[in-house]
Amino acid sequence: MSITYLEAIREAQAKLLRDDKRVFIYGQDVGGTFGGAFKATKGLAKEFPGRVLNTPISEDAMVGTAIGAALEGMRPIVEMQFADFSSIALNQILNNAGTHYWRTNIPVPITVRLPSGGTKGSGPFHSQSMESLYAHYPGLIVMTPATVEDAYTMLIDAVAIDDPVVYCEHKYLYYHLKADNLPNDGMPVGKARIARSGRDLTIVSYSAMLHESLSAAEEIAKEGFEIEVVDLRTVKPLDTATVLASVARTGRLLAVGESFPWGGVTAEVIARVSTDGFHLLDAAPARVNAKDTPIPYHPNLWSTHRPSSKVIAAKARQLLRE
Amino acid sequence: MPQVPIIMPQLGESIAEATIVSINVKLGEKVAADQEIIEVETNKAVMGVTTPCAGEIAKIDAQVKETYPIGTVLGYIEASEKDAARFAKQAPPPPQREMAEEIPGRSEEKSGNGAHFQIDKSAVRTFRVSTQGAVPGGGLPVPAAAKGAGFLSPRVRARMAELQLTNADLAGIAGTGSGNRVTIKDLENYLRQMESATASDASAIRAGVADAMRRSWSRPLATIGSSVNLDPVLTDRKQRDPKPGPALYALRALALALVENPAASAKLIGARVLQSNTIDIGLAIEAQDGIIVPIIRNADKTSLADLTTKYEELVSLGRARRISPEMQSGGIAAVSNFGTFGVEWGTPIPLPDQTMILGLGVGKKTPRWDESKSEFVPATEAQITLSFDHRSLDGGGAGRLLKRVIELLENPAKL
Amino acid sequence: MLLTRTFEEKLASMYRGGRITGGVYIGKGQEAVSVACGIFLQKGDIFAPLIRDQAGRSAFGEPLVDVARTYLGSRAGPMRGRDGNIHRGKPRDGQLAMISHLGAMVSVVVGSLMAKRGRGEKNVIGLTTIGEGGMQTGATHEGMNIAAVEHVPLVVVATNNHYAYSTPNDREFACANLVDRARGYGFEGYELDGTDLAQCLDVVGSAVKRARAGRPPQLVVASTLRLAGHGEHDDFSYVTDDIRKEPFAIDCLRRAEAFIKERDLADAETLQRWREEAAEEVENAFSAAQSEPVPSGNEEDWSAISRRDLVDEIGEGGSS
Repeated sequence: MSITYLEAIREAQAKLLRDDKRVFIYGQDVGGTFGGAFKATKGLAKEFPGRVLNTPISEDAMVGTAIGAALEGMRPIVEMQFADFSSIALNQILNNAGTHYWRTNIPVPITVRLPSGGTKGSGPFHSQSMESLYAHYPGLIVMTPATVEDAYTMLIDAVAIDDPVVYCEHKYLYYHLKADNLPNDGMPVGKARIARSGRDLTIVSYSAMLHESLSAAEEIAKEGFEIEVVDLRTVKPLDTATVLASVARTGRLLAVGESFPWGGVTAEVIARVSTDGFHLLDAAPARVNAKDTPIPYHPNLWSTHRPSSKVIAAKARQLLRE
Repeated sequence: MPQVPIIMPQLGESIAEATIVSINVKLGEKVAADQEIIEVETNKAVMGVTTPCAGEIAKIDAQVKETYPIGTVLGYIEASEKDAARFAKQAPPPPQREMAEEIPGRSEEKSGNGAHFQIDKSAVRTFRVSTQGAVPGGGLPVPAAAKGAGFLSPRVRARMAELQLTNADLAGIAGTGSGNRVTIKDLENYLRQMESATASDASAIRAGVADAMRRSWSRPLATIGSSVNLDPVLTDRKQRDPKPGPALYALRALALALVENPAASAKLIGARVLQSNTIDIGLAIEAQDGIIVPIIRNADKTSLADLTTKYEELVSLGRARRISPEMQSGGIAAVSNFGTFGVEWGTPIPLPDQTMILGLGVGKKTPRWDESKSEFVPATEAQITLSFDHRSLDGGGAGRLLKRVIELLENPAKL
Repeated sequence: MLLTRTFEEKLASMYRGGRITGGVYIGKGQEAVSVACGIFLQKGDIFAPLIRDQAGRSAFGEPLVDVARTYLGSRAGPMRGRDGNIHRGKPRDGQLAMISHLGAMVSVVVGSLMAKRGRGEKNVIGLTTIGEGGMQTGATHEGMNIAAVEHVPLVVVATNNHYAYSTPNDREFACANLVDRARGYGFEGYELDGTDLAQCLDVVGSAVKRARAGRPPQLVVASTLRLAGHGEHDDFSYVTDDIRKEPFAIDCLRRAEAFIKERDLADAETLQRWREEAAEEVENAFSAAQSEPVPSGNEEDWSAISRRDLVDEIGEGGSS
């Protein structure tokens, strides 16, 4: 059996709908026979009538409704059609769901699924990676699964958590990543994984960039250097301990992320290692991000804008020579 | 009973004062809390002033048709202890007029545009932006463009601290990092190689000497040398009991030479030249596994006989390891007699807190030209060297000092 | 209404005396509409009030001492000092805690009603209030639309108090009558004179009944004048004299009192007693709250999520 990243998400939702009657899915085009823009809910409306509902194009109200339902004991999953459109719902996610527990001591168990990241030709408003923005605000958990297995188990974990979860699933990985089968359990939420053991340099990454980083590591292995690659899995909370332990082994740090360069996950990783692990660094830390422009449409421009395994490898080589 | 003030309240953000229209209570009248007792008129409307709490009207200072600024005390209520205590905790707001003066233009505003937050008057500051720009000459000149050439990384430093290494210990490592810096890998490789050799712990004395020599070497040191005829000393020695060794003669000679020329042993610290008041000279003694240099204070005033006694004491103290650090500090020069090992000449290193050291080699039978006889005659000659900190002493000064020492040594009666 | 008016006057006076930190927003002039909102709600209903709904909150059953506590920042208040003034709520008791972004709560009520319906709860409604200002946000639009699409028993009571902060109606909306929007969303719409308590009770009461009976969502538009500033920091001198002469500028409390006197529904003694009882209840609420401790930055549990094991160890920030 071979299962794609997207199918894993669908399977997770099917399992959730089956096992927990508090769960329902709310989003544009998720219902009927259509099953979502990316087919993440295909067949689910039929199997679970009344629990996979089409909404109007109202991202604010979609999340607001989910919050209200969650306050009354439901476990809604809101599917944004593209992460980029979640900016309309920013207020509900950051200011309503994100502050509710702090203000009233009552948590809001919503899960907002964001189809994130670039694919060829999708352009500025269908390619964004927004995990850095959501992680910045208090009160949210931000997940960025990079593997088929994590896509499955972490979505199930997300719905079980009483606090609001922003689940950033990567569109490029939907159909390009496969696994042999789905696991029963995954690593605990909030723990990073050593995706590749190494010795000379640590790359910290997440989501689609994990795979670019692994490719870069394979290239550099031919030159006699072994790169250790850490998959963050969740960017908030960020597993500082695992990152520090890795840099303790290698002495060099390269943080790689797909979101825009100013601030964000890579800056956060470097800040933490520089302050808590200064004595572990044998060279200044480095990072690779997308460019500080909107995401271009043309594939030539897009492939330069976005970090690739080539660019990651070049930066790693530079860092190894320092 | 305590009194609580009746204060002209804030009637609107742009309102600075109000005129009394009517006073609706009399002295002694009992009032409730929040009861309207005075009517005032602003340029906007007629409004009421209410009592802060229940009680009895004790005093009314306001007069009808008079205008008072916001915050003015209009009168007093005699109230219960409890109520008075509540008001004691909270001070009345600052008068509106003062605020308008601090924020120019505000008193001109006609329509109310109150701030959503209270202005903390004590926190208002006038901030003047400097038009000067960055002050030149402040702070360290950082070569911002030069990227990390030759630095020791935090990790290397941490490892060095762990192993108590100093920069001198890294001298044997050729760095492979950018700018040939020593990377952690270089250091770890080096340490691994060291591990294959037989290792044992360095004693405290060994570590101490290592540290002292490393610190001393950080100065520009130079050495000059000459030969000295030891026969006069050897002859003089035969008559004495106990017999002083040649090193003691040298120490005495150096002491007297320095009395005549104290500037020679002066220290240079920054731009200042420091001269010692006493002639304290150290003598190198071999201890368990290192050299220690106890100082003989006022060596110029200590006779050779006394020096000999002192020396015997120090040797036995040395063997018993009873020579303290205090006994080894504060000297201005030292003498080292490596001739006892058969060494002919050497370039000893001055102690880190001293500027010179006199080294004496082994005496050998050497042909010496005798001008009066016009032939070579045998003499016992030794090489005598003077190493010095070239920052405070030049070759000329060092040469003159050494010449005088040799003169004195070749005339032991003067010692 | 009297209780609310008394309470809010005390609050305003305390604000002017510098005893309250932060903003004070009162609902002077809207007590009639607001009390009608709260009084018909039952246990199990969802109430999402906004800033001028003190009367409604009291009618819904919110203890007055909790209000005092929130304004005075008591640690024992519903928000424990973490949020203030009218952002308070008790979600477990059906009173939602509003956020400052107007219109955001509309869709939240929709979601709660959907959940209750899914559980099989019957005879339940949700009521939320909005001003003519807040009504112009995208969030309100999305919320009302989705309420109608989901066909939930929602009553939206919109009060046009003729000023959104300093902005009068002609810069807020251009349609002839706000109640016309009901048709556009698929709501049923009704209007009323917000200064008349009897009308408020009648129209809001019927809207609530219709919602309970399963009709489409209800929009009730009430007309009043805001009789105080946007907040107590605002002297509302921009309110024109002409506006003050309009029929909707009548004080609903005075009107109600006149009505009572006219029809001899209560004598002067009773009215005085009501006043005194209100004042006493207000005084007690404030005294109780005043004696309670305020929060301390050092004793605070600085965690924004309930899962303590998932708190991000981001290091010490602030001045801890």
